[in-house]
Amino acid sequence: MMSERIKKEMQASHGKRVPAYVWVTLGVTLLTLLLHAIGMSVDLVNVALVYLFPVLVSAVYWGMGPAVYAASFSVIMFDFFFVPPYLSFTVEDLRYLISFVVYLAVAILTASLAGRLRQQLEMVKAREATTNSLYALSRQMTAITDLNTLQVNIATQVSLTLGKPAAVYLPDGQGDLLVTSSSSPVSEGEKDNWGDGESEIAIAKWVYHHGQIAGKGSSTLRESPGLYVPLRTEEQIHGVLAVSMEAGEVHEQQEQLLLLEACGGLAAGAIARVKLAEEARLAQITAESERIRTALLDSVSHELRTPLTAIIGSATGLLENDTLFTPEDRRELTGNIRDGALRMNRLVTNLLGMVRLESGMLQLNRKWCDVGDIISVVLTQVREFSPHHNIQVELPDDPAFIYGDEVLLEQVLVNIVSNAIKYSPDESQIIITVTSNKSPSQLTIQVDDQGVGIPEAERIRIFDKFYRSESTRHVTGTGLGLAICKGIVEVHGGTIVAEPNPGGGTRMRIELPMEAHGSRFPYSEQGEVEE
Amino acid sequence: MNAPLGARILVIDDEPQIRKLLKVTLQAHQFELHECGEGAEGVIQASIVHPDLIILDLGLPGMSGMEVLRRIREWSQVPIIVLTAKDQEGDKIAALDGGADDYVTKPFGMGELVARIRVALRHVAKTTDEPILRFGSLTIDLAQRQVELEGTLVKLTPTEYEMLKVLASNAGKIITQRQLLQQVWGGHHHESDSHYLRVYVGHLRKKLNEDPTKPRFIQTEPGIGYRFLLPAE
Repeated sequence: MMSERIKKEMQASHGKRVPAYVWVTLGVTLLTLLLHAIGMSVDLVNVALVYLFPVLVSAVYWGMGPAVYAASFSVIMFDFFFVPPYLSFTVEDLRYLISFVVYLAVAILTASLAGRLRQQLEMVKAREATTNSLYALSRQMTAITDLNTLQVNIATQVSLTLGKPAAVYLPDGQGDLLVTSSSSPVSEGEKDNWGDGESEIAIAKWVYHHGQIAGKGSSTLRESPGLYVPLRTEEQIHGVLAVSMEAGEVHEQQEQLLLLEACGGLAAGAIARVKLAEEARLAQITAESERIRTALLDSVSHELRTPLTAIIGSATGLLENDTLFTPEDRRELTGNIRDGALRMNRLVTNLLGMVRLESGMLQLNRKWCDVGDIISVVLTQVREFSPHHNIQVELPDDPAFIYGDEVLLEQVLVNIVSNAIKYSPDESQIIITVTSNKSPSQLTIQVDDQGVGIPEAERIRIFDKFYRSESTRHVTGTGLGLAICKGIVEVHGGTIVAEPNPGGGTRMRIELPMEAHGSRFPYSEQGEVEE
Repeated sequence: MNAPLGARILVIDDEPQIRKLLKVTLQAHQFELHECGEGAEGVIQASIVHPDLIILDLGLPGMSGMEVLRRIREWSQVPIIVLTAKDQEGDKIAALDGGADDYVTKPFGMGELVARIRVALRHVAKTTDEPILRFGSLTIDLAQRQVELEGTLVKLTPTEYEMLKVLASNAGKIITQRQLLQQVWGGHHHESDSHYLRVYVGHLRKKLNEDPTKPRFIQTEPGIGYRFLLPAE
């Protein structure tokens, strides 16, 4: 791209220098012939002026050398063809010699001015190209947030900018320097992945530890074919950027050194930025897990201690003051013990479920299961602790089968139906509706209650671990049940959402894909005859 | 047909607290209790004490509960109720398929345990040649291969009948899917055929006028199998 153009231009200006002399020779010769043909040979002043033309042209287009050559050649031609005696280098009038010298001086001065102008132009162009490529590089790098992509990008961009293979070395976890990224060879004939060699890594390590530039064009290790720049920000050295240098002119190397240093600065800044972002992200995660841990501890200690207090208090009461209590009191106290223990059991079950989900230990034991069956099991479980709710079930006419883990799906429904019971008044109605869709083949289970409902702002958050709505703090719970439900439903490839129930209260809607296994339930009548 | 009074129960559990709990409550229910806290000793005790029923904890140190079960089953058909911590359907199934008669999950309610013990003990006492099984309004005539519900004949296919027979003759006991497959389809079944079970159970329930959400006869034990419910006593 940009760099290739510079390279070509450089090569071109270098290569054209020889034809330039030919062009000058040709041009001056033609001019001489033309002047002769026109017959201006008598008007020497005009001829001399006309001869300045090729000098200027060469100065502007080809620079100093060709211009001086043009001037000298013109003087010779002028002398040979136009200054009497013609066709000889001898000069009739010695004053002509002064004219020649002045002419030459004027020509060379003009040429040098034009040449310098041209050089400045070239320099400006080169600088612009450098600036452009640095700008492109920096723009590329600010957009990247991932360290790996960044490394690859640095190597590729630097390699493109300089037109040479480049490599990036970064320290690994133990502080050992490794080639983390090297650009593919720019032109053919270069060996693959420059920078992998032992000597290259050794130099890179030296540069990394000393924080100094080394390699060709620098003051250290001049003999090395590569140039190594430490990626340094104010506080630390992040790594090393290296470029393979071919033999070139000294001033060119100097320019490339500067360019490489600039690239190195950019790359170091980008790496530092990405690293800081990473650290910030880690810190955030740590803070978050810290928060969850605190929440867990608070919640667990509260949730475990409350029933434990009830159990210990009731039990010691019974043990120590046995004679004080009437049979009814004793019944109440033992009932207290049982309820406390049951509550603890629920908490432990939920905590274990959460741990299993979080640790990835949860493995689905998928089988075809009858949703009606699952619901019946859920209802038997739920009825034990809630005889006062009217639970209705609406099942589709065809039995609905789903390919999933029966026990886990049952747990989901137990949690949701228990919630519906917990957050709605006694004697209210809870409706479980199961519908199955052919396409997209999915099963929807809705649990509607007529309870307190969930404020819109909390409808997503209730599925977070340990989240308890402010409005329902008085109801015991850990805020784990729905998080587990969500986890299980998602493992099955489904979704769970909380919606307002059109009849007041909450509607929990679970949608599960029915063809998670790629096939429908192999349901077939067996064609048996009834006896 | 009540369980024999004073039936001898051997408890194999490593937790002294659980043993104490079982001892106090089961003795209160007129059972004779023997206990031991270790698997290998449990196997020996089982042969010395000749218990009428064994309560076996699966999570034993040393010799595992499964191993104890296997060793006892080598020579004895004594009913064994497995005590297990929940969430391990695989273990429960393995224990049931390995010859256990029932399982009770920890933590358990004492009422439930006693009911299970009664069912298991009754199964031993019951002579299997009784030709007619009666469960409230449901009558199964094993000699005639006829099923009557509330006085009317229920038409069943041969497979449905076989399933009902297997479940009903093990009433109160849990039957794993594998056991059911084996007993109804014989040795030709495949574990993945278990979905047929669900279809047949579905049909059976429909024909027995059962609301699947309020099982009257066939109760699903999630992940494990089915249990034919005994009518409320």
